This record gives sequence, structure tokens and C-alpha cells, in this order.
Amino acid sequence: MERDLALLAPELTLAATAMLMIIAEMFRAARVVLAIGLAGLAAATLLTLPMLSVDATVFGGTYRIDLISGWAKLILLPGTALSMLLVRAEIAGRPREGSVQALVVLVTLGALMLSGAGDMMVVVIGVVLTGLGSFALVAWPRDDAATEAAMKYLVFGAVTGSVMIYGLTFWFGGAGSTLFSELGQLRGQTFVTIAGLIAIIVGLGYKGSLVPFHFWAPDAYQGAPVSIAAYLSVITKAAAFFAFAQVLRDLPRDGGWPLGLALISAATMTYGYLAALVQTNLVRLIAYSSVAQSGYFLMGVVALGVSGFAVPAIVVFAAAYVAMNLGAFAVVMVAGRSLEDLRGLGRSNRWLGVAMVVFVLSLTGIPPLFGFVGKVYLFVAALEAGFLWLAVIGILNSVLALGVYLRMVVPMYRDADAAPTIATAPVLALVLAATAAATLGLGVLAGLLLP
Amino acid sequence: MIWLAFTLLAPLGAALAVFALRRAPEGFALAGAALGLAGALGLFAGAAGGAEISAALPFLPDLPIRLVAGPLTATLALVVATVAAMVLTYAVGYMARDPERPRFFGTMLMFVTAMQLLVLSGDWITLLAAWEMIGFASYLLIGFWHGRKGVPGAAMRAFLYTRTADLGLYLAAFLLIGVAGTSEISATLSTTGTPALIAGLLLLFAAMGKSAQVPMQDWLMRAMAGPTPVSALLHSATLVAAGAILLIRTAPMLPGGALLAIGLVGGITAVVTGLMALASKDLKRLLAASTASQYGLMLIAVGAGVPIAALLHLIAHAAIKSALFLGAGVFQHDRESIDLDTLAGAGRARPGIFAGFAVAALALAGLPPLAAFYSKDAILAAALDSPSAAWLLPLALAGSVLTGAYMGRALKVLWSGAAETPHDKVPLMAVGMSVLVALAATLGFVFKPLEAMLGAHLAEPGWVVPVMGLAVGLAGLALGGLLAPARLLGRLLVPARNGFPLAGGMDAIVVRPAMAIADACERFEQHLLALVLAMGRLNLRIGDRAQSTDRDTIDRAIFGLVDRTIALGTRARRLQSGFIHREMALTAAGIALVTGVLLAAPLYF
Repeated sequence: MERDLALLAPELTLAATAMLMIIAEMFRAARVVLAIGLAGLAAATLLTLPMLSVDATVFGGTYRIDLISGWAKLILLPGTALSMLLVRAEIAGRPREGSVQALVVLVTLGALMLSGAGDMMVVVIGVVLTGLGSFALVAWPRDDAATEAAMKYLVFGAVTGSVMIYGLTFWFGGAGSTLFSELGQLRGQTFVTIAGLIAIIVGLGYKGSLVPFHFWAPDAYQGAPVSIAAYLSVITKAAAFFAFAQVLRDLPRDGGWPLGLALISAATMTYGYLAALVQTNLVRLIAYSSVAQSGYFLMGVVALGVSGFAVPAIVVFAAAYVAMNLGAFAVVMVAGRSLEDLRGLGRSNRWLGVAMVVFVLSLTGIPPLFGFVGKVYLFVAALEAGFLWLAVIGILNSVLALGVYLRMVVPMYRDADAAPTIATAPVLALVLAATAAATLGLGVLAGLLLP
Repeated sequence: MIWLAFTLLAPLGAALAVFALRRAPEGFALAGAALGLAGALGLFAGAAGGAEISAALPFLPDLPIRLVAGPLTATLALVVATVAAMVLTYAVGYMARDPERPRFFGTMLMFVTAMQLLVLSGDWITLLAAWEMIGFASYLLIGFWHGRKGVPGAAMRAFLYTRTADLGLYLAAFLLIGVAGTSEISATLSTTGTPALIAGLLLLFAAMGKSAQVPMQDWLMRAMAGPTPVSALLHSATLVAAGAILLIRTAPMLPGGALLAIGLVGGITAVVTGLMALASKDLKRLLAASTASQYGLMLIAVGAGVPIAALLHLIAHAAIKSALFLGAGVFQHDRESIDLDTLAGAGRARPGIFAGFAVAALALAGLPPLAAFYSKDAILAAALDSPSAAWLLPLALAGSVLTGAYMGRALKVLWSGAAETPHDKVPLMAVGMSVLVALAATLGFVFKPLEAMLGAHLAEPGWVVPVMGLAVGLAGLALGGLLAPARLLGRLLVPARNGFPLAGGMDAIVVRPAMAIADACERFEQHLLALVLAMGRLNLRIGDRAQSTDRDTIDRAIFGLVDRTIALGTRARRLQSGFIHREMALTAAGIALVTGVLLAAPLYF
């Protein structure tokens, strides 16, 4: 029991941090709330570092402390800290600022539970914990658009969540246990395997905005504050794919389900980019682009269990995706929500333009940026799993991606005098510098850092 | 190792210094180019001495960055460094009055770095990175004068065309890595059978984009929008050369089918773009079309199985074409135009520059003892000996006649007409150009030792091929000098001038279908939305009906309370607006779809 609690130190720290933040919010001390939150995240990150080589489970195997959950913490916790700075920059001094920050930390706690899930019930709790907090975050502005977006998000979440719980009962029935480590018992029971898997795809696919469960994402991102959209687009999504990795690595590869997942992956990336091609609202454009990125994530999931590259691919791509997508959203916060707002920006705000080009090229997957490294791992994993055609579709989609992303870059370098110089708030500049440095530098260093 | 560092880091360091300090860009550019040239000379000397210099830097696990300076790559690095140094010298004079010189020289140096990285790369991942970098840098350079009309469009077009073709390189690289299990280029060249054929065709596709082969030749003509030194650099030894270099380096792997395809693409390009050059109305477009045509000749050599001939022609062409562009730049400088009608007589006004231009032009036409005489002979001999001589030789000969014809035409136009005295001296431009002209004239004499160094032995030419080559060169010059293009081309003139719009149909093949699919998806989603909205409205109408019944009957009884309820109901209705129904319907449809996919997938497994 004591060993279990010691291994859970990062999660417990995070839970305590959230409680402290809520108490501080009662005194309306938004700065204190932010400080507590950042300190708690830093402490949790530091506590994770010595545990990276641990491979253990706690509480009877229901929660895993392993490579996936360790790297998930190292990616999600700093990503959350950057998101909190974005939130601060957007809604500083407005009502309920501290509540928003506390909710962000709580949702991240749910994301960590998803990333370490060793049991069906932990996945359910993780989905609910991330979901409830997210609905409230999206509804924060209290205007019609935000309320409607939150409502859609809630209804979608309720339906997919109940389908997931229903479907998981099949696995429980077939394996006789709710532990994922017992899923091997399902070997030979193809129908039960597929039924439970559909449930998982519905529940986690909704969190990770896979086609055809992506419909909520553009509306929710558009209705929510930009910083919240940025947060949801990276943290809960990455957590969903970490959870996929935890669940599916134990599932027997019966019934050809990897092929089904590969088809969903191909559909997601293609549909996301095609839809992004016709958007004029910048937030919606990035929303559809992050739908497409989910398709790339799924390539790693497809290769789980047969390719040694699958888990590293998901981890590296998640790190790259968190850095570059947060960065792109930070640029939107400086510039504005419409494609028109980008016009001439690269000339009037030189460094902002450079940062945006870095993010966009990384999202496209141009070497030597971090996004490219992540995609190389994903392609290699897919190839090793025997899905050459999926890798080819992934590469073909990079042309569409370039079309999508050039729509952002090209206006930035036209019409020199159209845009005024915008003063970037110091907090935003900090986030931009951190994400751009990660996108640029980690791509080169990735080979040295990873086993 | 130290020479490798010089070759790559000198231009890179100079570029970074220019971008960071934003002053004295000329000094940094010349120093960077000189040091880079010294490094390349060191590499070449090492390779000539039989020592292959290579380095492996840690990058991805099992996929280190490899740099290799063997005989072939060291030679190419030297060509790139030489042309870059001369072009930058010229550019110091050419750009003297441009306010944005730091950006210009910084980007040029970046471009040179990327090109050296491409040439020296020993693994596919580094090659891909360098390939992307030269694409991006060339986009910036072609669009350098972005304020002028049509320039951003030209840069964009160049980028999109080459980018589409890049897909071929990505696919080929991943295929080769997948088959060979390593990213080292030399190790992947032992691939055989179907994978080699597919990879060869994919590489050809990539090379067609970068080297502007038919039907992707259009972007090169429009890429003339950049400053003249940019054209000189891009067209001679760098951007356009990347495609041919790729094929020359992978030639040992290519099976017969891929070789035939390469030869045919090259041959068709040599003829089609040769006609375009002859029909062209301005000097830079003429030279641009000529570039595509010469690279077509190189592809013929690769297709005939003699990549060494292609390499020799690439080297000769690098010196010749950069000299021609630099000359054209001086004439443009004088007359503020590149229109051939306006340029009439421009050569007479500057006899020195014109002499250099003429030497380079005659060299390209293949007159002995100038450089391209030897390399073109090698190509003709290769075409004659190849198993598909019936296809390749006529195309190669036609391409050579056209080369003579458009060069003859350019010389005639520049010389005939009224000369005006030029208003200034151009010493730096003349220095850069004269070195290149000297190389264009004399490079032919080093080809023999170069062949020995590369370990390749071209067959001793008999008398047939040189005579044939000389005859077509002279015939072309005579035709171009004596007859107007309208007489020569007849009805072909207008389509050739417009760049053979049917052949250059990339827009129709790639851009329009992609947009059409995107539109169709958008429409589909709108239809879906309309359908679901209609369902929602129906529901609301039923609700309204019920509500009004309620109002009619109960309202009278319980006044205030019901009014309040109705007010609440209106607020709720705005929230619902049919959208929640849509979410439900979409969720159900999505679950059904996923179930279908997962259940159906095993049937085809």
C-alpha cells in the first residue's frame, strides 16, 4: 500500500494541487491560484523523472506505472503548464479565472488516469473526469455560442460514454475480469473482442476526435476561449491515444481489427485535411487539421504489439503534437480568429511569423522539425506492421496538408503594410518561445533522448 | 572531415551571420563562398587521391546522418561551390543598389548550404531534409521581389509543382529503406526486382519535378521572376540539377524498364522545351527552357545506361548556363528589360560581355573544343549504343539541333540592332562571368582525368559521333541564325510560345481534382446538415403544435405560470435549434459505420 502511494506521488500531488487551487480561488486570488498550479505541475513533473524506468502496477493491477504513463506525464504536465499560461493571457482579471485554472488541472488529472489505465473502470473514470471538466471549460464564456458548443460536447460525450460502458461489459463477460492484462483470455472469442473494441473506439475516438466522432470538435473549439481550445486539442487528445496504447497492447489481434483501425486512420487524416481546405475561420481550420493529426496518431495504435516502434512513435508524435499545436493556437491568440487576421503578419511581426512557419512546417511533417521525426516513427511502425498502404496514404496526405497550411503562411507574407505591429503579451511570448524551441530543437535531439 | 565541415558550415555560418547582424552581407557572402570552395577543393583532392571521406552523426536510432565525399559526390560539391562563388561575386555588383541585400545574400547562402548537404548526403533521411530545404529556399529566392506583380504567384507555382513531385522521393526513400533495412544510400542501391523498378519510377517522378521535365516544365519558365543571380544559380548546378543528380547517384540500381522511361521522358523534354526556347519572346525564358532541354539530354544519357555522360554534361552545362545567365543579366541591367525585341543590339554595345556570352552559347551548341562538345558527344554515343537507340538517338539529335538553333537566334538578336553606349562599368559582374566563361571553354580537357577518377571508361569516340555532333550543332546554329522562328516553327510557334498548355497540364491533373473533392465533401456535409436540420425542425414543429394546444386550453386557467414556462421554452429552443438532434443522429450513424467497418474488415483480410 505504501509502495503504491509512493508510485502514485505525481498523481497525488496533482490532486492536492487542484484542491489547493480551489481553496485559493475562494479568496479570489487568481495569481496565487496560478502560482500554486504551476508549482504543483513542476513538482509532479520532477517526481515523475526518477520513475521513468519503473515498470509496475498499483492497486491490484488497475493502474500502471510504466513507460507509456511515465512519458505521458512528462509530455502532458508541461503541456498543461503552457496551457495555463495561455489561459492567463486570455482571461486574466475576468470572473472565475481561478476556477478555470483549477478545472484545467483536474482535467489533466483525468488525462493522466487515461494514460496509465490498467483496468476498464479506470478508463471510464478517466473519460468522465476529463469530460466533465471539459464541458465546463468550453461553457466558460456564457454566451450562446459557447453554451451551444458545450451542450453538443456534453450530448456527444454522454452518448459515446454510455455506448462505451455498455460495450465493455462484453469484455468483462468474455475475460472474466475488468483488468486489461486479462484480455488475453479473449483469444478465440472474435465477436466479444470486436464488440468491446467498438465500445473503446467510440469512447476514446470521441476524446481523440477520430472520424466519424469528430463532429463536436470544430464547434467546441470555436465556441470555447482560444486557450481552452488549445488545451483540449492537445492534452485530452494525446491522453486518448495513450489510453488506446494501454488498452490495445494486450488485446489479441484476432478478427482483423488492426485493418479496421487502419481504415479509420486513413479516413480520419484524409477527411480532416479535406475539410480544413475549405475553412475560413482559423480556429476551425486548426480544429480540422488536428482531426487529421489524430489519424496519424492512430497509425501508431494500429502497429501496437507487432512493431517495437509503435509505442515510441505514439510518445514522440504526442510530444511533437503538443508543442506544435499549442504554438499554433498561441499564434491565433495573438493574431485573431480569422484567416484574414494573418494578412501581412509575417512582415509586421517578424518573430511571430517565424514561429508560425516553424509550427506549420512541423505540422506538415517537414524535416528536420519535431513533427517530421514523429511521423517517421509512425511510418516505420506502420511499415513493420505490414501496413505499407497506410504509410503511403499518410505521405500522400502531406500534400493536402501543405495546401492547408500554406493557406495560413502565404497571407502572412503578403501585403507588407496591411497589418499593424501587434504587441505580444510577455506570457504569450514565453509560450511561443518555448513551443517553437521544442519544435525546432527536439527534432534534432530526439535521437539522443530516446532509447 | 575538416573539409566536409568547411564545405557545409562556411556557407551556413555566413548565412547565420548575415541574418543575425544584417550588415556587410557582401563580405560574409564572399568569405562564406570562398571558404566553402576551399572545403570542396579539399574534398575533391582527397577523393582524387582515392580516399573516401565519410562521417556518421548520431540522429535517429539506427538512422544516423551520413555524409559521404566519394569521387562522384566530391566532384558535384566542387561544381556547386565553384558556381556559387562566381554567382555570388557577380551578385555583389548586380544587387549593389537593392535595399534588401541582407535577406538576399542570407537566403542565397542558405540555399548553397542546402545544396551541398544534398550532394554530400549519404543517407536518404538527410537527402530528404536537404531536398526540402532547397525547395523552400528556392521559393524564397524566386519570390524575392514579392512586391512585384506576378512574383508571389510564380514562386508559389514553383513550390507546388516541385512539392508534388517530392512525393515520389518520399515514397521511393521509404520504400528503399523498408526493403533494404537501412537508410544508407549506397546500401540501398543493391535493391533489385520489382521494388527497384517502382523506386526507379518514383525517383523519376521526383526528378521530373525538380529538373522541370515534361509535363512539369511550366514552373521553370515562370521562375524567372527572381533576380538574375538566382536564376543563374538555380538553373546551372543547383535546384534543377538536384533531379538529375538524384538519378545519376541511383543509376546503378535502376532496372531496364525504369531506364527506358527515364530516357523517353528526357528525350521528349529535350525536344518540347527546345521548341519552347526557340519560340520564346524573352531572353531569360529562352535560357530557362534551354535548361529543361539540356537536362532532358542528361536524362537520355542516364536512360541509355551511361550516367557518367550525364554527369559530364551536367558539369559543362553548369558553367555554360551560369555564364549565359550572368551575361543576360548585364544586358537586362542595360536595357531594363529581357524582351528580345528590346534587347536587339545590346550585345554590340558591350563587346566584351557579348564575346563571353557567345563563347558560352557556342559551347552549348557543341562546337569543338568547347566543353559541351565532349559531353554532348558522350551523350550521343551513349544513345547510339543503348538497346533503345531507335527511340533515344533521334530525340537526342533533335534536341541538339534545337540547342544550336535557339542559341544561334539569341546571338543574332543580341548583335543585330542599334548599339547604345552603356552608362556604367560592371567590373564585379565581369569577373564572375569571365571565370565561368573560361571554364565553359576549357572544362572539356579535364573530362578524361575525371573519368579515370570516377572509375568509368567511356568508349573512345570513333569519327561518326563527333562528326554527327558537330553537324547537328552547326546545322542548328545556321537555322537559328538565318531563319526567323516563325518560319522555322510555322504553326507550332503559338503553342510553343505558350508552353504547350496541354502538355503542361499539372493544374488539371492535381490542383483542380483536389479542390473538387474538397468542395464535394463540403457539399456533402451541408446536405447532411440540411437533412438533420429538417428533422430537427419537424420535431420542433410537433413541439410547437403541442405547445400551442397547451396554450389554448390551459393558458386561460393558469395565466402567469404558463407565460413564464413559454418564455423559458423559447430560450431552450434557441439552445436546441435542431443541433442536438444532429449530434445524436451523427453519433448513431458513426457507431453503425465503425461497427460495419470492423465487422467487414476481416472478410477482406
